[in-house]
Amino acid sequence: MARAWESIQDFESFLDNGGIVERTDAMPDEFRNAVFRFIELHANSEQMGGLTERDWIPRTPGLRHKMAVLAKTQDEFGHAHLLYMIAADMGIKTRRQMLEDLFAGRSRFHNVFHYRVETWTDQVAVAFLVDSAALASQQAVFKNCSYGPYRRILKRIIAEEGFHMRLGEDRMMKLAAGTETQRAMFQASIDRWWWPSLQLFGPDSKPNDLLLRWHIKSERNEVLRARWVQKFVPLLHSYGFTIPDDGLHQDDDGRWHAGPIDWEPLKKTFANVGPDSERRISDAAAHWHETTWVRTALESRADTQPAAGSTKSNVSV
Amino acid sequence: MIYEVFLKRDGRDEFRHVGALDAADDELAMLSARECYVRRGEGDRLWVIQRTHILVDDGDLIAPNADKPHRHHSGEAVAQRRREARERA
Repeated sequence: MARAWESIQDFESFLDNGGIVERTDAMPDEFRNAVFRFIELHANSEQMGGLTERDWIPRTPGLRHKMAVLAKTQDEFGHAHLLYMIAADMGIKTRRQMLEDLFAGRSRFHNVFHYRVETWTDQVAVAFLVDSAALASQQAVFKNCSYGPYRRILKRIIAEEGFHMRLGEDRMMKLAAGTETQRAMFQASIDRWWWPSLQLFGPDSKPNDLLLRWHIKSERNEVLRARWVQKFVPLLHSYGFTIPDDGLHQDDDGRWHAGPIDWEPLKKTFANVGPDSERRISDAAAHWHETTWVRTALESRADTQPAAGSTKSNVSV
Repeated sequence: MIYEVFLKRDGRDEFRHVGALDAADDELAMLSARECYVRRGEGDRLWVIQRTHILVDDGDLIAPNADKPHRHHSGEAVAQRRREARERA
């Protein structure tokens, strides 16, 4: 069944009372567009993240870690698939259009996937720092998310991202207990990935942030960022690593605060002109073109299926 | 084609809707359901069905239930009479 609201005020009071919007509801266009853009960004980021992970399958040291990287790659593409599914269900773009926009450089994806993962220790730093920052953001959306399909998929994604983060921490501990070379390499990776991880949370939320007002996000960017700093500074210090932030300081209550953040690198990644954007996008596009035969085969397979599934219908679940 | 996916956690629970997926045919839908939704023991029974095959109420069909008080009984009046009978005895 579809619900409709008389006015945006009615809709907002429905949301303020903890209402959950479903796919078939006649939600206001502003809400539909904003939620769609948010989910599309998330889907694109899972897709690009999956491609990064895939690059490391042949290069991962040791069979156990290699198998885990394989599993993580499958997880990330699975997340992308589910997110593109619910995004396409909002009726703004098809999955195909979203993918084509992504590979043509017309879409956004998270800043951290605009940098090159140079070494295995970079990959560990990404799994540990980036995944945990992404997980913190996703948990804050899941907590109160007013769009039902996204909330339910996030539950799945968060469970699997938790597994990725623990793998990252496990690998980080191994490096921390490793040789001087391993420790030095990991320190260099922290130095490269610390700031992009912090910037992943975005600049301070604007007072009129619609995603906060409509209960998609439950916490302001700066709150999530500060909490993450509070957790990760002591953690890295406890393994004897340093943080590449001269402004980092502890207040009288012992809380850690990051120094001023330069937002220029984040803006560049939003415009798809980050340090590795061009290579990342063209690699992804090349992969998309190389796999055209798979899509053609699937489409011809679908054509031979019984007609029931392809009939137009207003049925909604 | 779009498919809806349902999982049953164990012998005691009901099937629950977990999400949807897009697949070219039934066989690939089952494989994709396994790879997307049942990667780490999330369930031991799986249902996958084409979205267009699900019958959905229009809202009005089940709405009248709310105004049928004769289908319910709070038990308050019975309890009151039971108390009165006990006091009389």
